Amino acid sequence: MESWVKKALIVMGFFVAIVPIGILATWNCGDAWGEWGEVQDTAHGINWTPRSYFGAPLPDYNVEGWDNKLMASIGYWISAIIGIALTMLVVLGIVKAIELHRGM
Amino acid sequence: MHIPDGYLGPLTSAVMFAVMIPVWAIAFRKVGEQLGPKEVPMLAVLSAASFLVMMFNWPVPDGTTAHMVGGTLFAIILGPWAAVIGITVALVIQAFFFGDGGITALGANCFNMAFVLPFVGYYIYRALEERAGKVVASGIAAYIAINVAAIFAAIEFGIQPYIAPGYCPYGLNLSIPAMAFAHITTAGPVAAVVTSVVVGYLAKSRPDLLELGRKTPGVMG
Repeated sequence: MESWVKKALIVMGFFVAIVPIGILATWNCGDAWGEWGEVQDTAHGINWTPRSYFGAPLPDYNVEGWDNKLMASIGYWISAIIGIALTMLVVLGIVKAIELHRGM
Repeated sequence: MHIPDGYLGPLTSAVMFAVMIPVWAIAFRKVGEQLGPKEVPMLAVLSAASFLVMMFNWPVPDGTTAHMVGGTLFAIILGPWAAVIGITVALVIQAFFFGDGGITALGANCFNMAFVLPFVGYYIYRALEERAGKVVASGIAAYIAINVAAIFAAIEFGIQPYIAPGYCPYGLNLSIPAMAFAHITTAGPVAAVVTSVVVGYLAKSRPDLLELGRKTPGVMG
């Protein structure tokens, strides 16, 4: 592996280590605007729940039921590692597919 | 700005997929011409980095949070078409595995974050790099690009009360100011700092890796 790739992975490893600050921000400061699971907004007279069509294996980057700040942080770590690994695998899979397609 | 399922009506969802299909097709072709021994690991690293920076939510002073995307940095290094592919992959995995961003909204979310954002960032960077220098140009580009992308997201769900009742309940009068505020005050500055720090580092210590996308003749046109 080239040295810069190794360096990039080390830097990402550091950010994975501190990634729980990302979920603690939503615990302490709220979800992103327009990404709510339900809306109860008395000021605008809105009481609304978006239709949900699909489930996800790790909803909200967490293991279902891990609903305190410590467990959610661990769930977030696991999600970051799985997500990064999947993203790289899929990208490299696409590269492989393009190369195979080109070789034909 | 990951629009969840249930916020966009069927018409908006379908139109956004229809717009993205040719974009994805062109991106695959362009990226296919670009793959070399440095480009392949860079594509994987930048896609993973984009996934990771989107997990860092930052507090917005109005009781919400926002995050950067990494699209401008991606486009500066590998070109905007590579960014389309890499960020699309991150968004697909976020939607299917983590329920972040709706599956029916994937067309819209990819349009905003994997298409508008890297292209706006890339061309602002190209326009400014001579006059402002790479570091400043990349920061300004990242700041403007994430704000433009956020406004597109705000328009997409903000038009729903007028065209698709039962979906997003907030109209443009509320969605645009809220999305602009979150990205002007929080996600924009984060994107500007991170992008210019990485660009500055690469320009100084690995200029061969910066602007890799431009080193393949014919790819960027």
